[in-house]
Amino acid sequence: MNFIVSSTTLLRHLQSISGVLSTSNTLPILDNFLFDIVDGELTISASDLETTMRTKLEVEANESGKIAIPAKILLDILKNLPDQPCTFLVDRSNFGIEISYDNGKSKMVGYNGDDFPKAPMIENSDKIRVSGDIISKAISKTLFATGNDDLRPVMSGVFCQFSPAEIIFVATDAHKLVRYKRTDSQATGSSSFILPKKPLNMLKSNLRGDEEVLIEYSDSSAVFTFNDLVLMCRLIDGKYPNYEAVIPKENPNVLTVDRLQFLGSIKRVSIFSNKTTHQIKLKIAGSELSLSAEDLDFNNEANERLTCSYDGVDMEIGFNSRFLMEMLNNIDTPEIKIQMSEPSRAGLLVPATSDNENEDILMLVMPVMLNR
Amino acid sequence: MELRKIIHIDMDAFFASVEQLDNPDLRGKPVAVGGNAERGVIAAASYEARKFGVKSAMSSKIAAKKCPQLIFVRPRFERYKEISNAIHEIFSRYTDEIEPLSLDEAFLDVTFNKIDLNSATFIAQSIKNDIKNELNLIASAGVSYNKFLAKMASDQDKPDGLYIIRPKEGINFINTLPIERFFGVGKVTALKMHELGITNGKTLRNFSLEFLIDHFGKSGKYFYNIARGIDNRNVESERERKSIAVESTFELDIFDSTKFRMQANLILERLWTRYQKFGQSGKTLNIKLKYNDFTQITRSTTKNNRFISKNSVEETGKLLMEQVLPLSKPIRLIGFQISGFQQEAEEIATQMTLDF
Repeated sequence: MNFIVSSTTLLRHLQSISGVLSTSNTLPILDNFLFDIVDGELTISASDLETTMRTKLEVEANESGKIAIPAKILLDILKNLPDQPCTFLVDRSNFGIEISYDNGKSKMVGYNGDDFPKAPMIENSDKIRVSGDIISKAISKTLFATGNDDLRPVMSGVFCQFSPAEIIFVATDAHKLVRYKRTDSQATGSSSFILPKKPLNMLKSNLRGDEEVLIEYSDSSAVFTFNDLVLMCRLIDGKYPNYEAVIPKENPNVLTVDRLQFLGSIKRVSIFSNKTTHQIKLKIAGSELSLSAEDLDFNNEANERLTCSYDGVDMEIGFNSRFLMEMLNNIDTPEIKIQMSEPSRAGLLVPATSDNENEDILMLVMPVMLNR
Repeated sequence: MELRKIIHIDMDAFFASVEQLDNPDLRGKPVAVGGNAERGVIAAASYEARKFGVKSAMSSKIAAKKCPQLIFVRPRFERYKEISNAIHEIFSRYTDEIEPLSLDEAFLDVTFNKIDLNSATFIAQSIKNDIKNELNLIASAGVSYNKFLAKMASDQDKPDGLYIIRPKEGINFINTLPIERFFGVGKVTALKMHELGITNGKTLRNFSLEFLIDHFGKSGKYFYNIARGIDNRNVESERERKSIAVESTFELDIFDSTKFRMQANLILERLWTRYQKFGQSGKTLNIKLKYNDFTQITRSTTKNNRFISKNSVEETGKLLMEQVLPLSKPIRLIGFQISGFQQEAEEIATQMTLDF
């Protein structure tokens, strides 16, 4: 079997799915891309058994067939080739692959394509169609808040809820929580499931925004089809925590502050914070917000002041500065609001204004308390 | 003050016993820990060696002369520390009020104890048994109603002793106790006491508080009290530093404000250096002045935040200096002190978690 393909076109397709490749595969063949040619159409797959991604492109081929090609070598050689047609010669008797290009040729040995694990087929699936732009934004606003606790696997993913009226994406690691709502999604069906981090990252990096995403799902897996890509993944099994119950309803103390000024102050002050807790203290009195951090182990301390508008009782509250920075980086508006009740209760971070009335974003962060 | 029950535990020939325990070849033989036949000082001597008159703190040369077959072994403090920890573990079964004096000595307050036992004598015996059974070492115990008497009691019938001084026996015991055996009376003090005609507790009681303070300074009050069987010092379970202080007495009295500020700042500087090394942070800064008539005043300020920068200490120090200026009399001493340390545990900040 042989085929001819443009080096840069092939590289682009490989790079869009190479994020699926795992560094610790149990099956050696999973370190390969599966090339499957049927009537001049090349389908390339990458898989780690949990997540599988496929992309398609037209090639000039003399016959149909399958071969698994070592992923790392292939990516490396293509990255170092100027744009040109490459000829792949596949010897199916010993799975040798020879790539010829302008300057010469290279050889490597792959695996029998028939041994590549098959992605599970979804039968009797339900379908939803959603705009790629909305999914992309919903993922990027929530992904950072997911947890890493092996004991709470459901929190390592994003809880995605679809309905014709609204879609809601939620992520939490039990210290912080993000809820992203859209009322303009017009999803064509209703469902909810927990997506793991890897497929979320793959979606985020491959969605252009102008496409429509077809989501097919069953109890255990989901398939996303968009552009020339197909993403198949296992869903996280389990019940997502009742997040609405932990979002405090009464938060009479409201701080409004310039987002970038606030973020800049936190970045500077947090350099002097304790290396374990990353705690910074916010003290709000009148229209003055003071930020302070100290690290007793190294005698480090820092203080800054900002003007803000504040409606509420004087307040001193501590937060993990990393959480605050992540949140502030994931809000786009010039001003933000922090709604609080007590120094021991959750603070809510929301955009002060909204340029999209169909979007509702809410971030929650639990304080860091000093035991005094 | 209600009646307390204090036990003083003193391990018998501790270092030497540990060596004999770990090395069977040394058992039953005169052993000295520390030093060698030529030079050095003995840290501990086994009971076999003591029969020859070998004592701890004796020069090893003299010891070797007294007991030619004396075996010198090198001290292994790591190992002693290990055993000492095991002994403390035994103590902690009975009480948490433990004040270690050294690796082989500790005070225990068993007034309220974990096994809810009224008899301190029984607890002392029980601790001795545990140490014997579990570690194969011998301890002597003294039981009484204060630290001084408990300490004196443990010394009373060593080795393997258990001596109790009951409240009504206290005075009698002190009466006959030779002055050099008093806890807190060293060689120099003993000599001074003898010069004053004080040979035991009874003769010590003949002197007034003022007289003792005149002759022995601060310790005078302690001697006055213990002669009467009074020792209200608590068993300090955590021997933590409560303050850090630096002070300086000047050869020439200072009366000039500028000079005062300069000297005070130097002392503050020294305090900061020591404070930095200490690793805990305090909230209170204290200034002490002693005038040339020996009267003294102190002023202090407590901050909301702990002192964590030199600047904050200096600023607070300056405020305190201004409080004592202008000087009313020439001063001979300036001191600064930081106190109000926070416990480590209180410093830990906790990230709150959502209640799912």
